[in-house]
Amino acid sequence: MFDAIFRFFFELSPVVFSQGEYRFAPTTGSYVAAALVGAGAALTIYAYRSGRGRTRDRVALAGIRLAILAVILICLFRPLLVVRAASPQQNFIGVLLDDSRSMQIADVDGQPRANYVKSEFGDQTRGILQALSNRFTVRTFRFSNAATRTTQESDLTFAGSQSRLGAALSGVRQELAGLPVAGLVMVSDGADTADTALGEALLALKAETLPVFTIGVGQATLSKDIQVGRVATPKTALKGTTLMVDVVLSQSGFDGQKVTLDVEDEGTLVSTQEVSLPDAGVPASIPVRFTVNEAGPRVLRFRVSPQEGELVAENNAREALIDVRDRKEKILYFEGEPRFEYKFIRRAIPDGDNIIVTSLIRTADNKYLRQGVDGPDELVAGFPKTREELFSYRALIIGSLEAAALTGDQLRMIAEFVDKRGGGLLMLGGPRALAEGGYAGTPVADVLPVLLDRGNVQAKGVVSRLNVKPTRAGMATAVTQLAATEAASMEKWNSLPVITTVNRISGVKPGATVLLTGTDENRAEQPMLVHQRYGRGKTFAFLPQDSWMWQMHHSIAVDDLTHENFWRQMLRWLVDGVPDQVEPTFATERVEPGEAAQLVANVVDPSFVELNDASVLVTVTGPDGTVIDVPMSWDGENPGEYAAAIPTKAPGWYEARLDATRGGKVVGSAVTHFRAAPGDAEYFDATMHAGTLRRIADETGGRFYEAGDTNSLAEDLRYTGRGVTTVEEHDLWHMPIVLMLLVGLLCAEWGYRRAVGYA
Amino acid sequence: MLSATRSAALTILIAASGLSAVALERFEQGEGGFGRERRRVSPLGYDATTAYDGRFSFVRIRYGAASQLAQGRFFRGEPPWAHDFPRAEFNFLKILNELTFLRTFLDQGNIRTLDDPELSMFPIAYMSEPGFWTMDEAEMEGLRAYLQKGGFVIFDDFREDHMYNLTAQMRRVLPDASWQRLDASHPIFHSFFEINSLDDVEGYYGVVEWHGIFEDNDPGKRLLAVANYNHDLGEMWEFSDTGYVPVDLSNEAYKFGVNYVLYAMTH
Repeated sequence: MFDAIFRFFFELSPVVFSQGEYRFAPTTGSYVAAALVGAGAALTIYAYRSGRGRTRDRVALAGIRLAILAVILICLFRPLLVVRAASPQQNFIGVLLDDSRSMQIADVDGQPRANYVKSEFGDQTRGILQALSNRFTVRTFRFSNAATRTTQESDLTFAGSQSRLGAALSGVRQELAGLPVAGLVMVSDGADTADTALGEALLALKAETLPVFTIGVGQATLSKDIQVGRVATPKTALKGTTLMVDVVLSQSGFDGQKVTLDVEDEGTLVSTQEVSLPDAGVPASIPVRFTVNEAGPRVLRFRVSPQEGELVAENNAREALIDVRDRKEKILYFEGEPRFEYKFIRRAIPDGDNIIVTSLIRTADNKYLRQGVDGPDELVAGFPKTREELFSYRALIIGSLEAAALTGDQLRMIAEFVDKRGGGLLMLGGPRALAEGGYAGTPVADVLPVLLDRGNVQAKGVVSRLNVKPTRAGMATAVTQLAATEAASMEKWNSLPVITTVNRISGVKPGATVLLTGTDENRAEQPMLVHQRYGRGKTFAFLPQDSWMWQMHHSIAVDDLTHENFWRQMLRWLVDGVPDQVEPTFATERVEPGEAAQLVANVVDPSFVELNDASVLVTVTGPDGTVIDVPMSWDGENPGEYAAAIPTKAPGWYEARLDATRGGKVVGSAVTHFRAAPGDAEYFDATMHAGTLRRIADETGGRFYEAGDTNSLAEDLRYTGRGVTTVEEHDLWHMPIVLMLLVGLLCAEWGYRRAVGYA
Repeated sequence: MLSATRSAALTILIAASGLSAVALERFEQGEGGFGRERRRVSPLGYDATTAYDGRFSFVRIRYGAASQLAQGRFFRGEPPWAHDFPRAEFNFLKILNELTFLRTFLDQGNIRTLDDPELSMFPIAYMSEPGFWTMDEAEMEGLRAYLQKGGFVIFDDFREDHMYNLTAQMRRVLPDASWQRLDASHPIFHSFFEINSLDDVEGYYGVVEWHGIFEDNDPGKRLLAVANYNHDLGEMWEFSDTGYVPVDLSNEAYKFGVNYVLYAMTH
């Protein structure tokens, strides 16, 4: 529309004006005419200098008259627009057609985007392609992962699982290198699914001054659609762990509607809940709770059933891979005095659970009882005295044990356990814990999420009785979920009995999160469970001394599992994500079949000091049972970090087993999984991304068009200034806008005179 | 570890001797006398309770109808559940406090019925003379919930055919549970003191037997209750400071008591 209006007034396309140069081509007659115009101007000024009427009116009329003379004078000097136009049929045009699955979305007048591409670019005898072919030699490419040459309509399948705009542009640029290329035309919905930034590809095009003309296909907003957006899941979890996952939902056309959000674990429904959809265009985060009970690599599917009239059903589900580990994870619990909290925490973890609580309880001075130990030697000398021994545990619980019971080195070791080893530390409340236990000013206090002050301690014998409830942040964690829904969980918290604390903290550290808060008899609130990440690990402070009331209290039913569930989840969180000596990470959980998976592994010794001279070998077992060995090498930059690219062929699951050795001795091993499968990113955020396409055009000197508004495309491409060109001169004096301007000025003068009574 | 046990045992001796010395002095002043000590307990003391504040309290289970207490139809006017009260627990609490890092109330009785809601705040309880134990439905329900949730009960001071009543009453509480005889290898005999043999223990009423009820009747699981058949630990504790009971016997009795509490605190 804008183009048509512009052409009506200026006869030429805006591109011609932007590409051309302006100059005058006066003749001898022009100078004679200029003298006459000058005389006319002088006469005008003289005539209006005095006379009847107001000065203001005379100035205005003189100004209009002079403007008319100026326009005439400019026209007499013959202004020209000089532009280099591509010579017909001597230049090439690269046309890139998006062949990805998102082009199947039917949002172009109710028809799939692919239909538009086929009708306009499917054959040189019709549509835009015909218009281009009349002027240029056209090279057509289709692209999804990369661009490939296409010569016939049937090459377009619209089945690509990705749209890598940058890679496609770079590929075509290189393909056409050396040819006189007038420009590139990209026809796409602009949904770029590449992991790499677009900027690099654009920079190369800019350097070559190769303009890209982009055509956006599809609607900027889907009329009716529900999308399961981001799902944030941990990469690994211990078997039996209950996870709280935020699922981001967005929609258009379904305001206020209720839908069912399901979670499937390899086809088995593990969670279902009814949710109210957020307002259109406003993504909402929905907390979803489910338990992973099956070990191995599991694909979790978060799904909203397709609703009637939805344009894209494929973006109603999002998949996430979780490596569910079925192994024993040991937690060391050091308790400083016999008390029921110890008994009931131990009892919350049943025999055979993946969590093993190995405990050391001090029953009397220099007298300890060990429980859950692997053999007669474990902890026989009391609390670990070396880093190797302490770091063999994945988490540490310190009960009511005064700091003085630990040596300075042991206190430092505990801090390093969190900071360097990446373990989880939980300090329980009690008369010998926290500030009351003398931890203020120790290395352990540095890593705790609460502030301790040795001058601010609870007086001996003073007990605070509190009702404990989760905070808003706490409700978003699995540990506070005591029932199936958030409302039921809150109701359960409200019904729990009062518990007590004998500790006082001086505040919560910046960056720490209060998960549970307690309200005492005076309605004063204080944090009860506080969490923070510290270094590679995490720490918790749990202030109550008798959470066992949630088990024993008379108001709690025998079959009530509140206490058990709380502590099982708490301890699972404590060991969650704690690194091993060999810790593998894939850049992405999924790669396209045939692509290499980028694997990075951190390798440390038993004291968790990074090793740069280890031998790390990855044994990869493919979905068809083929086994290949891929050596990993230290990346030379980051201490202890090894990298390798794992090739893939067939789609399916790949198991990677890493074995690290050093000097012939085993350092450690790890097993991880990834899968090669076509991605479904095409269907997410599947609207037409005008911004991306406009950016490509703007940065390369091209132009963006919406599908259906491309009439000037072929003409615009003539004026890119690239390839074999001829110089064209366009006279500007006979543009309709000039005549309109003159007539307008004359009318203005006449109208003004009429208005002030001169005519 | 072993030396710590020895030193703890020595502490018992010293503490018990200390208690004995004080009591002997009082006895010589004309306050004492076997039986008279008990009778000095006021019936009002039978309502003694302790409010929970996080510390360990020795809970004595009271059973039988309140009317029986009012009628005074008991031997020496003392109900069987109250035998050895309060001196037994006071002495025992002092020993616990002295020997272990357990934080306890001292000189404070805590008498609860099985249907008392406050009982749940004290997961270890003691019952004397279970041969005379009777209970109503509410008490039965209360004890069942107490044990299933994690409570632990010590049955003490019974002999001969008293075991039949204890068995019958416990069958009402836990119909599927059965008493199983314990030997010296059980962890309850090693939770603080290493009691490696039960053969040498001299019972108050005859040959002592230790019986226990396990969770799910599985000896590998937690003990819910322990019963000292033919023995009376409470008596040994009560008179440990009087000289009426040999120090060795009191000493042994304390060891069992400490082990019971430590076991229940850790299992």
